[in-house]
Amino acid sequence: MNAITATNLTKRYGRTDAVSNVGFEIASGEIVGFVGPNGAGKTTTLRMLAGLIRPTQGRAAILGKPVPGAVLGEVGTMIEEPSFYPYMTGKQNLQHAAALHGGVPPQRIGETLEFVKLENAAEKKVRAYSQGMRQRLALARSLLWHPKVLLLDEPTNGLDPTGIAEFRESLKQVAATGATVLISSHILAEVEKIVDRVLAIDKGALRFDGTLSQLIAQAGGQHVRYSVRAQDGPALMQALRDMGYEPVEAGADGALVDVPQAEASDLVFRLASAGVRVTSATPSAENLESAYLRLVGVDGKPS
Amino acid sequence: MNVARAEWFKLWRKRRIYILAGLYWVIAPILILVVARIIFGNVGGSFVNEEGIVDATMQELTSPFGLARLLLVGPGYMSPTFYIVCVTLIAALLIGDERSQNMWKTVLVVQPNRVAVLTGKVIVAMLALGVLLFGAALAGGLFGAVGTLFLPTAVGGGAWGELLGLFLLQWAFLLAPVLLAFLLIFVVRSGVLGVVMVLFLPSFLEAIYSVLSTIAQLQPLNRINAVFQALRLKNAWDALPQYFFTANLYAPSRAPAQSLASTFGAELGADFGSELGPMAGLLGTGITLPHAALVMLAYSALFGALLYLTFLRRDVD
Repeated sequence: MNAITATNLTKRYGRTDAVSNVGFEIASGEIVGFVGPNGAGKTTTLRMLAGLIRPTQGRAAILGKPVPGAVLGEVGTMIEEPSFYPYMTGKQNLQHAAALHGGVPPQRIGETLEFVKLENAAEKKVRAYSQGMRQRLALARSLLWHPKVLLLDEPTNGLDPTGIAEFRESLKQVAATGATVLISSHILAEVEKIVDRVLAIDKGALRFDGTLSQLIAQAGGQHVRYSVRAQDGPALMQALRDMGYEPVEAGADGALVDVPQAEASDLVFRLASAGVRVTSATPSAENLESAYLRLVGVDGKPS
Repeated sequence: MNVARAEWFKLWRKRRIYILAGLYWVIAPILILVVARIIFGNVGGSFVNEEGIVDATMQELTSPFGLARLLLVGPGYMSPTFYIVCVTLIAALLIGDERSQNMWKTVLVVQPNRVAVLTGKVIVAMLALGVLLFGAALAGGLFGAVGTLFLPTAVGGGAWGELLGLFLLQWAFLLAPVLLAFLLIFVVRSGVLGVVMVLFLPSFLEAIYSVLSTIAQLQPLNRINAVFQALRLKNAWDALPQYFFTANLYAPSRAPAQSLASTFGAELGADFGSELGPMAGLLGTGITLPHAALVMLAYSALFGALLYLTFLRRDVD
């Protein structure tokens, strides 16, 4: 059974389609990145999945049951900026959420606070929390009832690099429990470190649904860019040219060269066979961001 | 029940509820007792009290029963009334806060049953108002008992059953403004604007009626009053104030004003007996409680239907 199903989801405001015919399925236990620029329709889609707004057309289902509905009790969310009652402490905010949801044992509040490393700030009013603390408290709240599905919208917004890394680690631990996670972000470098699969949305339409490697391939990643260094630079250049590769950049002891995917694994062996003493050969990371930018174009227009 | 428990938990963590309770339960009775003590000190031994009128007044207003009754009547004569202030502040906390703190997106996912969310909030608002009102009755009794130590009042006396019935009725009548406050705050998407509208919209509409009514009675005939006369709506138009929101809402709290006015004005009581004649309009006691109950029930049904329809259908930002 799919954990999340979106079928032709459309949300229209006046004459503008914020989201248009978005459809996807996410299996239980998957961690899926939902990427796209600001205003692409990520939050609107997540709001429809969370039952906060009703689709103009199409339908959403969580764990096979229609949304909105009681099944949302199995969902944990962080939609946009985390919000709390500022006059209550972090612990009281969790107590309120636990009471609202029902069926959350009292000790679970302490467990989640400990999980997000906020146990020492539990009795502080939320108005005194930093942005990072609020993000962690929001994660704690979304985990209170052991949700089977997590919908996270830009969860690392406003966090410093350390906070982002900590948040990522926390999320990995949650995912390890078998929860399905749909995480939206416009910071693609963040998403690619966590996700199994990517949904790319732009201008309200789903542009891609597949694994990161599929995205890279679809975006035109037929070559792998290698940074090669050797003891003898000129010999390296000559060998590369003899093999039919024109270096993109050449230096005294190294070069950048694009190698077809099919030949990439043989590069070092072939250079060594040609008598070049290779000191290093590193494939440059073709990442989600560069693949995504190729998919939609740097200016956001389809390439 | 989950929502009611959570909202109750939230309610008592907001300072304003303690301020309201402090004003109603402590500050108001103390002020009344202080003023009564000053008045008694100044005129208690003078010719004014030769027939015991000051002592009688003290008993009516500051005995345990009298003070409790005054805490029911007094708030209904303020402008805006203390009751509507309590209603709007509690509604702003329960509904307005979700908007101002951007909490709907959390609340409605944690508890997706919107009927349960709204019903829980209404229940908690009514419970809080009940605590405030019945706490005032209790505080009136307690402070009135303290007042017997330095005022010429006695602990006993008074129709407590009837008074508590009026408290209960006033509390029940507050359901309509609670629903109205929830509706306006939710519809205008602003706690502050919603509060202002609840405080002034009903009185504003009623004032417009008064203006129109005056214009309609102008002579000679003009285009405006001609419409009323042509439509033969005069009787219905004249009866309209009987159905005004504010006039009916405070009927229980204003009901004891009749006996108080009779007590203080022997001539008035003699002239009108149980009827206050022209004073009825001034005191707002010209509407019977059964009539007011029916009118408030209708308002509650109307506001409740609009509130639930709006809340269930609207997208949450």
